[in-house]
Amino acid sequence: MSHSTPIVDAMKPSRPGATRTAPPRPPDGFPSRGNYRAYIAFGFGGFFLFTVSLLVLRSVWALGNGEAAWNRLQTSFQNPIYVLFHALAFLWLSWFILRLFRLFPATQPKRIGPFQRPPDALMVAGLSGAFVVVTLVVAAILWGAF
Amino acid sequence: MRRVLLVLEPIIWGLFSAGMMVGGLLLPAWAFVMGVAGPLGIAPAAASYDHFYAIASHPLGRLVLLAAMALPLWGGAHHLRHLWLDFGGLKSDGLVGALCYGGALVGSLLAIVAVARL
Repeated sequence: MSHSTPIVDAMKPSRPGATRTAPPRPPDGFPSRGNYRAYIAFGFGGFFLFTVSLLVLRSVWALGNGEAAWNRLQTSFQNPIYVLFHALAFLWLSWFILRLFRLFPATQPKRIGPFQRPPDALMVAGLSGAFVVVTLVVAAILWGAF
Repeated sequence: MRRVLLVLEPIIWGLFSAGMMVGGLLLPAWAFVMGVAGPLGIAPAAASYDHFYAIASHPLGRLVLLAAMALPLWGGAHHLRHLWLDFGGLKSDGLVGALCYGGALVGSLLAIVAVARL
């Protein structure tokens, strides 16, 4: 009896299944109903992550080009559209990370390593507190407080 | 292209989660101080070349700035790709995914150059 390459693919059904699979479709009320709005707004936070990090890159690039380039960039940042964009980005990204931290306990198992998981409220409070502290420290450094 | 994206999924997920965390923690403060308070004259030191150069040229400052530039690009790219999937379906996912992650890759490389030339 030879053991050559098998001619039967065990993963392939011998004939088409009797049950037809419906094509994927969005759930009812998507995206305007209920929690879908918050879900879409959270996803749109990616736009602000992407664009604000590009603006940080633009700033650091201008810094490397010397003081004249830096001052030109600062003048362009005084445009009201830029100011409004940054204000909106600040609010959106703050809500974005606080929502992520609020959802965080749902992603955690009953035990984290050898420890029992802490209460949900404690996790949310700790992470949100860390966000406030980091934001204040970074803002103070950029502000020139140190 | 979708096949390549599926193979790279674990790496992209790592960069995405790091980018979401780093961007969420660092960028709000940046947006407020450098984009609002500085230009409005509330925080004049924030717009000063000498002040920001002193922060950015410090080794720790370079590292933090590199993280604040490169990682959120991946977080943002992944979110935007999935937002596209929610509205547009799988049809053009290969192209959109390649554009999003390609942009993040180019931005990350430019970020490395930007901190290296300070």
